[in-house]
Amino acid sequence: MNAALTTEDSSHTIALEARDIFKHFDGVHALSGAQLSVRKGEIHALLGENGAGKSTLVKVLTGLYTPDSGTIVQNGSDVEFANVRVANRAGIVALYQELSIIPSISVAENIMLGEQTPNRGGLVQWKTLRRGAQEQLDRLNQTIPLGKLAGELSPVQQTMVAFARALATNAQVLILDEPTASLTDTEIKDLFAVLRKLRDQGVAIVYVSHRLEEVFELCDRLTIMRNGETIITKNVADSNIDEVISTMVGRAAGELYPERGTATSTVALTVEKVDGRKVKDISFTAHKGEVLGIGGLAGSGRSELLRILAGAQKHTAGTITVGDKTLRPSPGVSRALEAGIALVPEERRSQGVILSATIQDNIALANIPGVSSFGFVSGSRIVDITRQGMLDLQIKARGQRQPVGELSGGNQQKVVLAKMLARKPKVLLMDEPTRGIDVGTKAEIYRLIRELAAGGTTVVAVSSELPELMGMSDRIIIMHEGQISGEVQASEATEEILLAYCYGKADSHVNN
Amino acid sequence: MSTTNAPAKPGRSLGRTLLQGGTVIALIALIAFFFAMRPDVFLSFTNVKNILFQVSILAIIASAQTVVMVVGDFDLSLGATSSLAGAVAAALMLGGVPMWTAISVAAGVGLLIGLANGFLIAYLRLSAFVATLATMTSVVGLAYLVTAGTTLFSLPEGFNNLGQGKFLNVPLPVYIAIVISLIIWGTLRFTTIGRSWHATGGNQEVARLSGVNVRRARLLAFTLAGLVSAIGGILLAARLGSASAVQGSDNMMFSVAAVFLGMTVIRSGMANLGGTMVGVTIIGVMSNGLNILGVNSYVQQVVTGLIIIAAVTLSSLKNRER
Repeated sequence: MNAALTTEDSSHTIALEARDIFKHFDGVHALSGAQLSVRKGEIHALLGENGAGKSTLVKVLTGLYTPDSGTIVQNGSDVEFANVRVANRAGIVALYQELSIIPSISVAENIMLGEQTPNRGGLVQWKTLRRGAQEQLDRLNQTIPLGKLAGELSPVQQTMVAFARALATNAQVLILDEPTASLTDTEIKDLFAVLRKLRDQGVAIVYVSHRLEEVFELCDRLTIMRNGETIITKNVADSNIDEVISTMVGRAAGELYPERGTATSTVALTVEKVDGRKVKDISFTAHKGEVLGIGGLAGSGRSELLRILAGAQKHTAGTITVGDKTLRPSPGVSRALEAGIALVPEERRSQGVILSATIQDNIALANIPGVSSFGFVSGSRIVDITRQGMLDLQIKARGQRQPVGELSGGNQQKVVLAKMLARKPKVLLMDEPTRGIDVGTKAEIYRLIRELAAGGTTVVAVSSELPELMGMSDRIIIMHEGQISGEVQASEATEEILLAYCYGKADSHVNN
Repeated sequence: MSTTNAPAKPGRSLGRTLLQGGTVIALIALIAFFFAMRPDVFLSFTNVKNILFQVSILAIIASAQTVVMVVGDFDLSLGATSSLAGAVAAALMLGGVPMWTAISVAAGVGLLIGLANGFLIAYLRLSAFVATLATMTSVVGLAYLVTAGTTLFSLPEGFNNLGQGKFLNVPLPVYIAIVISLIIWGTLRFTTIGRSWHATGGNQEVARLSGVNVRRARLLAFTLAGLVSAIGGILLAARLGSASAVQGSDNMMFSVAAVFLGMTVIRSGMANLGGTMVGVTIIGVMSNGLNILGVNSYVQQVVTGLIIIAAVTLSSLKNRER
């Protein structure tokens, strides 16, 4: 391992290096001997599970945290960053997932925000300002109207504006945290082109992401962290996804996905000719014990379909039948739950859990009928179902009364699951069940999905990651522009077939 | 995005404890201050009884405001509603309607105003600010119509006794305020609708996707608030032995202030009834103490505003700590 850490040779210029960084909070070691060495003109992936220390390391590098010990070396000399501004001035800029653009001012002003506004006697010199902004956009090959309000731009354009601002401050090291989270596939391609261009201009880019496919497409080298330590740094070309996963998890990747084969022939869910917003003429059935995957591009109507099934969105035509009971049209969430359909929504933090509320309050939320009688809730019954849920799903927390906002992403997702599973649903709908959670917890969620299926639950899961779709499902339905464009057994699926369906190319594979 | 690496642990530092208990400490300091200034008067049984008597109506209206604020909204019309309810009860009794019938009708008027607010906000999706500001305006107008712009007095003895009578030497409104706030506390804490209110206030979308009927929850919160503030207004009329169109209007701002102060008492920073009562007590103690010291009542109003600012600053500091 140590050999791998010392692969630096003299032919590369190191832009930024972190040596033996230690940092602890309240007695918990977030970093214990973290290393990172980023060369000029490379895209360097920083990988690790949630809690491995990536974010803390980034925050140390950008002056947000002061390390307990260890040194940061920039261009060969030791540096200390007292705060973010000092780090920015030294050319180290981090762009976070929540983009730091100001929607209410113009693109040009956003780009030049870090600079002294050119002015004469207090009047803004717009020409100079726009010229400076245009220069940066040119470096990125972007044509974005400078006078437009930044809030009116698409997400990818907003990302570009944030990049341009970083360039305007003369960034030498650019740190990106999950930059593709809100982008579509084409936008991601554009982003990658820009990143490669920046790299070729000599900028060092640190790329933090959970999306390993992207890392292998884009990055030159990678560093993997685990438990606050740097485990390995190597060339991407010399590695592969399985190796990365097993290094991140600290054990062999083994079976990320459990075995299939729990599906029965009993129909549990029948959807007939359902229409609604973004959804047209959807018909399918799902069986007891089956995991049915639903794929498709962003905006293809996947999430809307799940929301209709869960009663969270109206449908204008068609019927939904659970077992042999047909739901009334647009039943509402409460009746859908009573009929046995539960939804684990896409956006955990805004739709899944109340972050400020405790674990038990969150779990009680979906179970008010089950924990109350004559209009009064029973505290002891809430404690019971919470204890059961935390035990079943192995939720790691200080206790039932810990606010959910303090938990890791994976544990938050488990709280959402526990909340819905306490309703003992016949059909469990899951929208992006593993978004933003680490590989270890992902494996747990897949196992759990399969256990539920084995227990007779029907699981309908939407995912935009094709490997996940193929790995966890028994059968896959693909949607395109609101309609079902294809259906395939997961055992016979390939990425090519699924992608063809995603783009609406119904071909010889389709039988119906 | 990878989440924070260090599991957030609640700190035990002195600074944070002070911040945490800041509001309660401020209350104790306030009491200590006035006691030191006038040890002979301030903590005497008579004066404590006085304070309780003075805050009892505010306590009732602040309870109503707490319910609405738990749901994540607020109600600017509560003060006006209480005035109107007092005026309606008084006008009906002066017109010869039996006391309990008049009280019931007046309470019903409050309930209807709350229902209207709830309908506008939960079903027609107006913002709480616009909707309750508008109903406040109309309700004040109605109160002027009912009182014909004058003060109604010579109310029946039995009615005035509700506000001025005593049991065990403690004024009746104190008992009524305690009973009402206990009922609301229990409703917020132990009933399904109370849990729905908390959930809705925590995150409407999460609550909706969990099967909570968010619209009904908000409707009921405003309805209950209207009813309870009407009871407060009727009691105020009984205590004063008269009814005017504006006699409850001060209580609107004070009730919001009390709930804000109360939000700083608990860690999560949510509206809560216990905290509201601490807030009500702070406002009551301060007003009474300043009175004893002979401070002008307009100055008291200025101080109240400053206290709200201090409370909100305190709670935002606390959120930054977390």
